[in-house]
Amino acid sequence: MLQYVFGVISLGLIYVIATTGLAVFTGFTGLFSLGHAAFFAIGAYTAAILTYFYGWNFYLALLAGTAAGGLVGFAIGYPTLKAKLRTDYFAIATLGFGEAVRVLLENLPITQGARGLPGIQGDTNLPVLLVASAIVIWAAWNLIHSRHGRAAIAIREDFVAAEMMGVDIFMGRLRSLTFSAACAGLAGGLFAHYFCFIQPSMFTAYMSTQMTAAVVAGGMGSISGPVIATLIFIGIPEALRVANIWRLVAYGLLLVLIMVFRPQGLMGYRELSLDLVRGWFRRPGKGGKP
Amino acid sequence: MFVQTLLTGLAIGGIYALMAVGYSLVFSILNFSNFAYGSIIMLGSYIAYFAMVRLGAPMWAALILSILGAALLCFLNERLAYSSLRRRRASSLFFMISAMGTAIFLENLVYALIGAHFYSFPEVFARTNISYHGVAIGVLDVFAIVFSSVTIYALHTFLQKSRTGIAIRAASYDIQVCSLNGVNNNALIGLVFALAGALAGVSGTFLGMKYLVYPTMGWITNKAYIAAVIGGLGSLPGAVVGGILLGVLETFVSAYVSSVVRDVFSFSLLVLLLLVMPTGLFGRYLEEKV
Amino acid sequence: MSGPGEEAVASRNVLDLRGVTKLFGGIVACRDISFTLPAGRIMGLIGPNGAGKTTAFNLITGVYRVTEGSILMAGEAITGERPDRIVRRGIARTFQNIRLFRNLSVLDNVIIALDCHETYRLGASFLRLPHVRRRERAMREEARFFLQAVGLEDKAASRADAMPYGLQRKLEIARALALKPKLLLLDEPAAGMNPEESLDLARLVRRIHDQFKLTTLLIEHHMDVVMALCERIFVMNFGVRLAEGTAEEVQRDPDVLKAYLGEGFKRAQHL
Repeated sequence: MLQYVFGVISLGLIYVIATTGLAVFTGFTGLFSLGHAAFFAIGAYTAAILTYFYGWNFYLALLAGTAAGGLVGFAIGYPTLKAKLRTDYFAIATLGFGEAVRVLLENLPITQGARGLPGIQGDTNLPVLLVASAIVIWAAWNLIHSRHGRAAIAIREDFVAAEMMGVDIFMGRLRSLTFSAACAGLAGGLFAHYFCFIQPSMFTAYMSTQMTAAVVAGGMGSISGPVIATLIFIGIPEALRVANIWRLVAYGLLLVLIMVFRPQGLMGYRELSLDLVRGWFRRPGKGGKP
Repeated sequence: MFVQTLLTGLAIGGIYALMAVGYSLVFSILNFSNFAYGSIIMLGSYIAYFAMVRLGAPMWAALILSILGAALLCFLNERLAYSSLRRRRASSLFFMISAMGTAIFLENLVYALIGAHFYSFPEVFARTNISYHGVAIGVLDVFAIVFSSVTIYALHTFLQKSRTGIAIRAASYDIQVCSLNGVNNNALIGLVFALAGALAGVSGTFLGMKYLVYPTMGWITNKAYIAAVIGGLGSLPGAVVGGILLGVLETFVSAYVSSVVRDVFSFSLLVLLLLVMPTGLFGRYLEEKV
Repeated sequence: MSGPGEEAVASRNVLDLRGVTKLFGGIVACRDISFTLPAGRIMGLIGPNGAGKTTAFNLITGVYRVTEGSILMAGEAITGERPDRIVRRGIARTFQNIRLFRNLSVLDNVIIALDCHETYRLGASFLRLPHVRRRERAMREEARFFLQAVGLEDKAASRADAMPYGLQRKLEIARALALKPKLLLLDEPAAGMNPEESLDLARLVRRIHDQFKLTTLLIEHHMDVVMALCERIFVMNFGVRLAEGTAEEVQRDPDVLKAYLGEGFKRAQHL
C-alpha cells in the first residue's frame, strides 16, 4: 500500500517538474503552447538513449535530457517568437512542431520507432524526485521574483506597456520558453527512468492538456497553485480509479468552467502562504478581500 | 496520373475549403481562432452517420440533420464557452484555453460514450468511378466538389446580397462601429457561429463519407487552419483558395513522395507561412487584442 | 552637411523631429511634422482629436515606424529603433488610456520600470545570489521614493486596478519617472479630471519636471493645464502643423482660435 502511495507521489512529482516550467511559460508569460509534450518526449528519449545505448551515468543523462529540451525549445522559439506571431498563431505553430517531433520519433532508427524503448534502468526513485522538484520549484520561484521574472509578467499583463517599460519582449518570451522546455526535458528524463519503457504514443496531446489544465486550474501567476493542482490531478483519479478517458473529459470541462467562472484558478496570482491559509479561516465580516 | 491526382486533390480541397471558410468566418468577426471548430466538424459527422445508420435516413436527410445539429452545437459552444469571456473582454489567451477545453471535452466525451471505433458510412454512391479519357474519379468526389461549390456560392450570395450578410461583412471590418449602427452584435455573433456550424456539418458529413468517422477526426481542422492561413486569415475567398490549394498540394505530396510525409509537409508549410507571410494571399494582419 | 555650430545646437535639443510623415495605407496620420524640444523645457502638443498627436508619440517611441523623416534624441537618430531600446535611451511615456499592469501591486508596477536599468544576469536570478538580493531590496526602497514623489506611498501594496482613476494616472507618472528618463512624454495626463484635479496635476507635473530635471512633451486637451505649464506649444490638425509658438502667440493665432480654443486659458491665470 505504501509502495502504491509512493508511486503516485513519484508520478505526481515528475509532472510537477514539467508543470512548474509550463507555469512560468503560460501562467507568468502568457503564452499558450499545444505541444509541450514534445519537449517532455525529447528529454525522455535523450536521457534513455544515453543510458541504454551508451551506458551514461544516470545523472549526466538527466542533465543531457534537460539540455536537449532547452536547446530544442530555444531553436523552436527563436524563429517563431522573433516573428512576433499572435498568440494563437504561435500556439498552432507549437502544434505543428509537436506533430513533427512525433513523426520523427516514430521514424528514426535509434528511437526504435513506434515500438518504443524497453528495458531502461529504473534509476528514478522518490528521493531523487523530491530533490529534483525542490530544485526546480526553487529556481522557478527565484526567477519569478527577479527582474527577469517581472519582465515575463509584464509581457503577460500588457506587452505594449511592457515594451514602453524597456522590456525586450522577444528575449523575455524566449527565456520563458527555454526554461519551460528544459523543465519538461528533465521531467521526461526522470519519466523514462521511472517507467523503464517509453514509446511515442505516450507523449500526446493528453499530456500537454493535463499540464495546461494544471496551470490554469492552479492559477496563472502562481507557482504553488499549479503544483497543488498537478498533485490533485494525479492523485485523485488514481484514488478513485478513474479511467484516463474520463479524466480528459473532466480536464476539458474544467478548463472551460475555470475560464468562464474563475479565470484566476485556485491561487490566482498569489502563492500559498500562511497569510492566505489564515485568511480562509478568518471569520466573515472581518474584512479583507477574498 | 497527374490529372488523377489533381482531381483527387480538388475533391479533398473542396472539403478543406468548406472547413477553412467556416473557420475564417468566425475569425474575421471575432479575431479569434476557434480551436473547438474541429470537434464540431466531428460531431456533424457523427450526427450524419447515426442518422443514416440508426434512423435509416436517406443521405439528404442525414445531411440536413447534420447541418442543423452542427449549427446548433456551434452556436451553443459560443454562448457557453465564449460569450462571457467576450463580455469581460478577456485576453486572447483565455479564449484559446476555453476553446481548447471545449475541443478536448467534446472529443473525449464522444470517445468515452461512443467508443474509439472507426465507423464507416454506408455506401451511398456506388464505388463506381466515372471514367473519361483514362482518368477515373469517384462519384463521391464529384459530388463533394459540386456540393462544396454550391455551398460556398450560396454563402457568398448571402453575404453579398442579404441584409444580415452585409451586417456580417461590416462586422468583420469593425464590430464596434456595427453595434453603433444598430446591429445587435450578440445576435450577429450567434448567427455567425451557427453559419460556421452549418458549414461544419457539411464538411463533417463529406469527410466521414470519404474517409471514416472517429472521435479525433476533429484534428483535421489543423488542415483548415493551414488552408485559412495560406489564403489569409479573415478572408473568405482566401480560405476557399487556400483550401483548394492545400488539398491539391497535399495530394501531390502524398502521391509522389509519401503519405507519411504529407502531414509534416502541411505543418512545415504552415510554420513557414506564419514566419514569412502571415497575411497569406489575401488576408489582413489583424492586431491581436491586448 | 551640418557644421559644428549646428551640431552643438542639435545636441542641446533633447528631441528633434524632421519632416516626420506617417501613412497607414492611404490615411495620412502625420505629414511633415518638424519641431525641436530643447533640454529642460516643457512643450505642449495640442490639437483636436485625431490630429495625430498620439501617433507622434508612437512614432517617437518606436511603436510605429516612420514612413518618411527622422527623429533624433540628443543629436542621435532613433528612427527605426526598437521601442524598448528607445526607452532605455531615456524616453518615458504615459498612455492616454492608462496601461498599468492591473493585476500587480502599485509597488510592483514601479519596480518593473526600475528593472529597465538593472543589469544582473539570468544565472544570478536563478540562484538568487547575494547581490541580487541586495539589488532587489534597494529597488523596493527606490520604488517607494518614486511613489512618494507623486504622493502614492501609502498605496504601495494596493492592486493597481483597485485604485481610483486619478491615482491610477499618478501611478502611470510614477512608473514613467522610475524609468529615469531624460525626456518625458505625457499623453493626456489630465484626461477625465475635473478642473480642480487637473490644476492639481499641472502642479505635480511642474514639480516633478523641476525635481527630476526632465524635458517634457505634453499632449493635453485641458487648456488650463497646457497654458499654465508649456513655454512652447505645437498645434496639430489633421496630421499637419497648424501653428507653433509661445503660449501667448498660440492663444492669439486666429487659425488656432478658430480650430478649438475655448475658455480654458482664462482659468490658467490661477496657477
